[in-house]
Amino acid sequence: MISVFSRNSEFKVRRAILKGVYEENLVILGKRRGKLARQTPDFRKRFFFILLLSVAALLMHQNYITNRFVPDEPVTAHATTEGSGSWLADKPFVASSGSSMYNEFLSNQGIPLRSVFGLGVQTIMIDAGHGGSDSGTIGKMGTMEKDITLDIAKRLKTRILRTGKYRVVMTRDDDSKISLNQRVDMARDAKADLFISIHLNYLPHKPINIIETYYFGTSSDDSVLRLAQEENADSEYKMSDFKEIIEKIGKTMKLQESRDFAAAIQKNLFLNSRQHNDAIQDFGVKRAPFVVLLGVDVPAVLAEVSCLSNRDEEIELASETHRENIARYLEAGILDYLDKGDITHEAKR
Amino acid sequence: MKPKDEQKQENILFVGIDLGTSRSSISASNQTRVWIESFVGWPKDFIAQQVIGKPVLFGAEALENRLSLDFCRPLERGIIKEGIDRSDEAVKEIIRHLIDLAKPQPGQKIHAVVGVPADSLKVNKLAIRKAVAEYVHSLMVVSEPFAVAYGMNLLNNALVIDIGAGTTDFCIMHGTIPSEEDQKTILTAGDYIDAQLFSYLSEKYPNSNFNRNMVRQFKERFSFVREIPDDIHVEIPVDGKPVMHDIKNEIRRACESILPALVETTTEMIARFDPEFQVKIKNNIVLAGGGSLIRGIAGYLQEALKEYGPCKVTCVADALFAGSDGAVKLALDMPSKYWETL
Repeated sequence: MISVFSRNSEFKVRRAILKGVYEENLVILGKRRGKLARQTPDFRKRFFFILLLSVAALLMHQNYITNRFVPDEPVTAHATTEGSGSWLADKPFVASSGSSMYNEFLSNQGIPLRSVFGLGVQTIMIDAGHGGSDSGTIGKMGTMEKDITLDIAKRLKTRILRTGKYRVVMTRDDDSKISLNQRVDMARDAKADLFISIHLNYLPHKPINIIETYYFGTSSDDSVLRLAQEENADSEYKMSDFKEIIEKIGKTMKLQESRDFAAAIQKNLFLNSRQHNDAIQDFGVKRAPFVVLLGVDVPAVLAEVSCLSNRDEEIELASETHRENIARYLEAGILDYLDKGDITHEAKR
Repeated sequence: MKPKDEQKQENILFVGIDLGTSRSSISASNQTRVWIESFVGWPKDFIAQQVIGKPVLFGAEALENRLSLDFCRPLERGIIKEGIDRSDEAVKEIIRHLIDLAKPQPGQKIHAVVGVPADSLKVNKLAIRKAVAEYVHSLMVVSEPFAVAYGMNLLNNALVIDIGAGTTDFCIMHGTIPSEEDQKTILTAGDYIDAQLFSYLSEKYPNSNFNRNMVRQFKERFSFVREIPDDIHVEIPVDGKPVMHDIKNEIRRACESILPALVETTTEMIARFDPEFQVKIKNNIVLAGGGSLIRGIAGYLQEALKEYGPCKVTCVADALFAGSDGAVKLALDMPSKYWETL
């Protein structure tokens, strides 16, 4: 009797497990969970459908009334999001030379100098960080930064080309090593109007996942300087190039535009990423002396789009969907910057 | 368990596949049971293709010819890196090859249950579906330790620890399909032992010529924890001459290097449950995967867990096929209405 009872109970458990396996796998089949389990009669479905329509109609009516009296405030690329801190973590850039009126003109936050001079963007250069023998950072599961940056860069290129408005050039489209000064030369040769370098972060002592975006400038933050030291390791620039380097620092328009570009990238990357991952942290827009950003004469940013030291993030990076999403957010950031005034926070699929 | 009559009539071959980091196996309802090493290689260039004479090589053959191949171990560290280093393509090749080895009859439908590392199940669902869809008519994917548990009827109050090459997967069974909270993956597994052994041997015998593949073979042949009476001597060339090396201490140190994480995670998993169930789970711990073949490992774990109360740790009888046997059992038990065409 006891054995019959235990056999029955085991049979029930087994049946529940088999059903559980089936339901879990509906996701893999691309179908909704529990399709088989719920066989709602037709008349009940119709009743719920009518009820749903009525509720929707009521809500839309209320929304219409509310919207008529409380218009929404448009959100701009420079907006600060509640609870997430400013996108421009550093102090605003102020030109250090020239007359005060000129300084005022240069540091004007409202009108981009690009617009003042009527400068358009035709060519976007995408730089996939590292490559070849320089693997960049390596995650605990063996994922290499150079592979991920190249994959995201390729996806970003496809997405931007799809807009039909811009020419896109890559610094590398395979696993080859290219020095930083070669990358700079490539940007000049290609007459790039905009430059974005894609990298992954690595924080060995902190199990967090962060997003941060850099544009060229000096920084007093030790950790930023250390990061710049690592990324500049194979620049192949000599001390004799120093004078030219210093002259470049004075290029106000490039700095102002790079800062705006960085803000647009950071905002879109972070806000969109946070929709999927609450744990992601916004480290904002920062200035750092990355050689690759200095050498390029046009607005240039370096985006640390993900954090390879975070194990969960490394696992996510193995999926094409996640990498496609990152490319999507970068595209949204670039278009956001290019279409100022026509700003959308949500990346388009 | 036999398939249902109507399923038999439909001429269906049920297969269970264990897609592992180091080895993959297939068990089929036609009694075929085969395994291969989970390595895939494609000839690097035209000359390599002429020499090798095949478009793709698998397992031991791929390993032997690795210098002429674009070599891929797709589930290294437990996940498929989609679109990177050809790992999704390699998974596809392994599945195709395993199904060929199961010898389905022409026109026979194939219903497959595939066991994959737990992390891969979490993030690579679509990649696995894409890899398998071409070769089967219907598919279910489950985690490897769950497939083992199902095959051994460990449906309730049991902990299965699958010590593979890339990952060690923990899975608690409590009468339902395990959720994400019931499963945990750590990276201290077979590959970690290989890395430790390689570094210990390099330190002790700096002039000897050995590579990671040789080290892996030493581990698979001699692995043990605690103490064994015999000495372990292997032949390794030094300046081209074969010389005998004593590697017993290094083997033990390397194998024992995974134990702290294993004990810690086991206690952490058990502690998540109600104390009443903890006692039952502690008396039903099963080790599976290649790591369960390490001599003395079950005894060590049992001893280490003693301070938390009495417990019983056993190893699966057939580490190579426990996953695929469980998967095919699941396939055969699955009601026909649950099999949906891909």
